[in-house]
Amino acid sequence: MRSKSLIVAALAALPLCAAAQDAYVIGVSAAMTGPVAATYAPVVDAMKAYLEHINGRGGINGKPVRLVVLDDQAQPSRAAANAKQLVAQEKVLMLLNTSLSSTYAPMVAEARSAGVPLYFAGAVCPKDTFPPADPLQFCSTAFGANLDSQAALAFVKAQSREPVRIGFAAMAIPISRGEIDYAEGLSKTLGMTPVEKQITPPPTPDYTPFATKLKDANPNWMYSWAPWVSQVRTFEAMRRLGWSGRYITWAHLNAEEELARVRDGGLYVIGTNAFLEDNLPVHAEMRAIAHRANLPHPVSYLTEGFVAGFVLETALRNTPWPPTPQKALAAMNSLKVDLKGLRGGPLEWTKTNHFRTRQYYRVWRWDPAGTRVARVQDWQAIDVKQ
Amino acid sequence: MQLAVNIAVLASIYALICCGYVLIYRVSRVLSLAHGELMMLGAYGLYATASLFSGHPLLAVAAAGGLALAVGAAVYAALMWRMTGESVLAAVLATIALGILLRGVIVLAFGSQTQHPLRDLGWSNVSLEVGGGARISAVGLALVLGTAVVYGSLFAFLRGTRWGIRMRAAGQNPLLAAQRGIGLHGIYALAWALATFTGGMAGMLLACDAGLEGTLVTIGLKAFPAALVGGLDSLLGALVGALVVAGAEVLMIHYVDPLLSDVVPFLVLLAMLVVRPWGLFGSREELDRV
Repeated sequence: MRSKSLIVAALAALPLCAAAQDAYVIGVSAAMTGPVAATYAPVVDAMKAYLEHINGRGGINGKPVRLVVLDDQAQPSRAAANAKQLVAQEKVLMLLNTSLSSTYAPMVAEARSAGVPLYFAGAVCPKDTFPPADPLQFCSTAFGANLDSQAALAFVKAQSREPVRIGFAAMAIPISRGEIDYAEGLSKTLGMTPVEKQITPPPTPDYTPFATKLKDANPNWMYSWAPWVSQVRTFEAMRRLGWSGRYITWAHLNAEEELARVRDGGLYVIGTNAFLEDNLPVHAEMRAIAHRANLPHPVSYLTEGFVAGFVLETALRNTPWPPTPQKALAAMNSLKVDLKGLRGGPLEWTKTNHFRTRQYYRVWRWDPAGTRVARVQDWQAIDVKQ
Repeated sequence: MQLAVNIAVLASIYALICCGYVLIYRVSRVLSLAHGELMMLGAYGLYATASLFSGHPLLAVAAAGGLALAVGAAVYAALMWRMTGESVLAAVLATIALGILLRGVIVLAFGSQTQHPLRDLGWSNVSLEVGGGARISAVGLALVLGTAVVYGSLFAFLRGTRWGIRMRAAGQNPLLAAQRGIGLHGIYALAWALATFTGGMAGMLLACDAGLEGTLVTIGLKAFPAALVGGLDSLLGALVGALVVAGAEVLMIHYVDPLLSDVVPFLVLLAMLVVRPWGLFGSREELDRV
């Protein structure tokens, strides 16, 4: 029902004279409803609001952008049907996935058979987007497997004067487990002592049994790379058990708001997106656009969606009219997007690197003295190599 | 000691959720597969009343409890009474449809963002020392005490009150109960109201502990094996089943592998189905109906 209303809304946003063939048409399959919608819907809503804002200012290359959003509820079968519909009926220029990784395979298959680029925005970047990249798959999502752990553990090492006894927490989903296994191995090479690793199933009614085992291992640092609920609930359960160490974890969409809710100086988040606390000029623009579009999400949740909007805007600007998937692909293979400070530098794609050439990390925590979210470490760059 | 506390809290969660499955099944022989959604609706009820009665947390909690009771009765009046006399399968399918409808309504009404009713109530989930070096959260303690009160009250209600005895009679032999002048629709509506109230209470407490989002439905389903292990038509069974499943889960996490915690309830259930398919305290004759 919501997906239909989104399509109607997208259509209504266009100038009446804009016929379907007279627009850049992008097809999106996203988890707009269902259990994981909280993670993905804000990305699509923000991207849509930004593109409507662009349409209101005359579109791109004088043409409007039409976003066709179909809800897959994070179900592979629905994603497959959506991809077929978007390619066959909507004749989209590009497919976009904002959903769980289980929906990737059917969309990749459809993109391959149609020769249409597939862009992951707000969804986990598949390995195929890292160099050497699959010719059709691209990704702008903030987090990147292995790189995030490298940055997080480098921060832990830099912060610690005492020997690091580190515990790990993951969720029982392949990507989270894989990353935590990688981090555990990496910690040993950095001279740390891994003391315990807990993998929690999704969902878990009570995290205390897992936290008990972690706390009993007495780590002075914890690292978690998982969906936010798993990260923060493990931390909160450990604190309630009396654990007093430091905990670093991935900064998901809601991290800024959550740091302010938890208010614990020992909880650090590492991420690649700027926080509203930075108060950049682009944040004022985001606030204004979100207000005009009447988005139901806090503005701090929208960064990932605006990044995707900037990427689409730049890619389409470099796609000459009349657009074809091949022209869009050529534009995406050599792309440099100015993210206006939302990340530490521009997002660059090359023919062999569809993730980004350089990843920038910041670390934040709650500052109990200043009673605000404070930056602990400014942008640190990691080159993304083959 | 901490392990014992962990088992008590998890068992309380399962027992409070199972209570609704058992109440409805025991009285009307209907397996409600919308229980997880009704549980989530109860939690969203608390979120709504916490905003509505801002600054009056006790009033908000009481209103949310009343709302859950009313919703349960309304579900029966609007949908389930039409299933009276129909096959059990038709009734079960109706609850599945109800669950899908509720999930959609909740997303439309409340969106997909995680909410924190405890913060909206102005309370915090502090940690309490319980002796032996063990600690329990305030919400965990509320879960244990709340479950004890709910089960104590239900046992007293079913054994010592006129309506409770009528409810047991309707569950044992609806035809005879009806011929003795017991209004079955009233009894069934009461069962749905109480089941939604206890499920809603579990949802409210879980949301206070962990925040409120769509995955709460799955936790509702996760408690189902405990009800089957104990016996689907026995409240005492639900309590014992919850304790068995929670105990196995916590001990497995601590001594074997945390990954097994997800499958342990179903392993216990499988073992029970092989050895005693009607559950620890269930009635043997009920198996045919299932």
